[in-house]
Amino acid sequence: MNIIGVFNEETQLVDALHELKEQKVSIDEVYTPYPVHHVFELLERKTSFTWWAFAYGFMAVVLVLSFLYYTSVIDWPLNFGGKPSSAFPSFIVITIILTIFSITILSLFTFSVMAVLYPGKKAVMPDERATDDKFVVVLRGQGQEAETARLGDILRTHGAAEVYEK
Amino acid sequence: MYKTSIRGPLVLGDKTFGQISSDIITPIDSKLPAWWKVAFLISLIAAAWGVWAMYITVRYGIGTWNVNNSVGWGWEIINFVWWIGIGHAGTAFSIFLLILRQRWRTSINRAAEAMTVFAVGCAAIYPAIHMGRVWLAFFIIPYPNTRGPLWVNFNSPLFWDFIAISAYLLISASFWYFGMVPDFATIRDRATSKIKKAVYGFFAFGWTGSSKQWLKYEALSFVLGGIAAVLVVSVHSIVSTDFASSVIPGWHATLFPPYFVVGAIFSGFAMVMTLMIIIRKLYKFHDYVTDSHLNAIAKILIFISLIMGTAYATEVFMAWYSGNPYEMFTFFHNRITGDYTFHFWAMVVCNAIIPQLFWFKKIRRNLTWAFIISLIINLGMWYERFNIIVTSLSKDYLPSSWTTYHPTWVEIGIYVGTLGIFTAGVLLFFKYIPMIAISEVKGVLKYGKENRNHSH
Repeated sequence: MNIIGVFNEETQLVDALHELKEQKVSIDEVYTPYPVHHVFELLERKTSFTWWAFAYGFMAVVLVLSFLYYTSVIDWPLNFGGKPSSAFPSFIVITIILTIFSITILSLFTFSVMAVLYPGKKAVMPDERATDDKFVVVLRGQGQEAETARLGDILRTHGAAEVYEK
Repeated sequence: MYKTSIRGPLVLGDKTFGQISSDIITPIDSKLPAWWKVAFLISLIAAAWGVWAMYITVRYGIGTWNVNNSVGWGWEIINFVWWIGIGHAGTAFSIFLLILRQRWRTSINRAAEAMTVFAVGCAAIYPAIHMGRVWLAFFIIPYPNTRGPLWVNFNSPLFWDFIAISAYLLISASFWYFGMVPDFATIRDRATSKIKKAVYGFFAFGWTGSSKQWLKYEALSFVLGGIAAVLVVSVHSIVSTDFASSVIPGWHATLFPPYFVVGAIFSGFAMVMTLMIIIRKLYKFHDYVTDSHLNAIAKILIFISLIMGTAYATEVFMAWYSGNPYEMFTFFHNRITGDYTFHFWAMVVCNAIIPQLFWFKKIRRNLTWAFIISLIINLGMWYERFNIIVTSLSKDYLPSSWTTYHPTWVEIGIYVGTLGIFTAGVLLFFKYIPMIAISEVKGVLKYGKENRNHSH
């Protein structure tokens, strides 16, 4: 059984999280109607997403330039008014566009995998009101009544409108 | 994050988070109003005319258009560039303000992005049907094939255009869609009907609003925003290169890329203003789309209008200063005076002079005037494209092939059809999608109303 604390305000939630962290309580997850950066900091949430996007971009630049060199210089060189086939400056624009194209597709796929989101997926969440107007914190239950009561008290002291077990 | 008190509250009234959801979801839950049905019917009739015109084009070929010697490009490229321009500002608006951390974007970005997706979709129709044999459009896709094997010309701005517009459509649609996922989840979790719960639940992708999801969601927004900002600049620069890399008088100018990018953002911002005034009026979103929002757009329009005026003056000056007789003829005898005088001056008056009325606070604050001026700018931007394309082509280097261009009913039909498709798309957006980003507005609800040190 987890302990669920429901708050009406972001400030109350953030204050409660500070207190829980000070008391070394393990916070399982926090659900909010909009992104709250204090929550990311307090829960020490980090993501490698942007690094993946950079890696895709780097990979795309190398692959696109190699592809352009292969098609325009090795496989099918064309003579445009005597200009050289290996015309690097004229490869730049298309490289930028194809790189952006590749980053977009691969980032969307990575986001879907990392955030585990896909069409038709059933939402599993402790309290449905978290997508509307409530800030919900989930604490892992210890199975001991005294501990549950203590955590409940911390949440209520900082303004939790509801505290329940689920 | 540093907060300024200059802008004031972004959401008016003493609203709760729940109220914000209710207000924005109300049009989705309510019955269709009569005006919506009438407008949708008119849009469908216009779209049907467009489909008929496209059928005629594909069935009998582009000989059904009045493009001929020497006007090889006519209404189709004019309207293509016009739609792309409108499509530009949606993403420009949303993305530039996102990466610059401008929070006043939140009430407007959703509609601006919707506008982008529909406008770019309309624009994409033109290159395809302009090929004549539309069923061979796949020839442009670079893959080793049985025709050689033969590769497309990777050095051609027209090929860049194809890839750039495809990428732009993909990134704009993705940015728009993923922005809506948390809002679809809100609708899903508030819905009482099983069908609505299932439909919006499907599109909500299992969104829960957990901190892990929000973190990745923000990272995705900034990655897409960052790369799309580059695309906004590059797409219209490429469109301009289609012209500038030619040797046609009036086109062969290094001014073209910035001139086109700024022009695109100008027309798009004007269309954003048109749309936001309609949304605010019809759906009574005064507390979300505030006077301050429209005031900010009007001020941006003044600034861009000045740049447009400078660009027009620069083009004329360069034609004179270069001493090139063909450039001189195009600008002084086929634009400022001559057969296309009306189109040139319509462009100057609509884009460089009338928007200057926004210097007056009374006009900026008067929504009727703001609405009319936003429509005039879009008309002016259409004339700009007509001016660039037709005047330069109609009287080329060989006087025996000079001609005066008029569109046929088929060309007009395709344009009206795209207007119908665009309007129908926007109306469907009004009805089925939250017009304002619910989760983002909740994030700025307290902005300008308190002095606490928290930010999110």
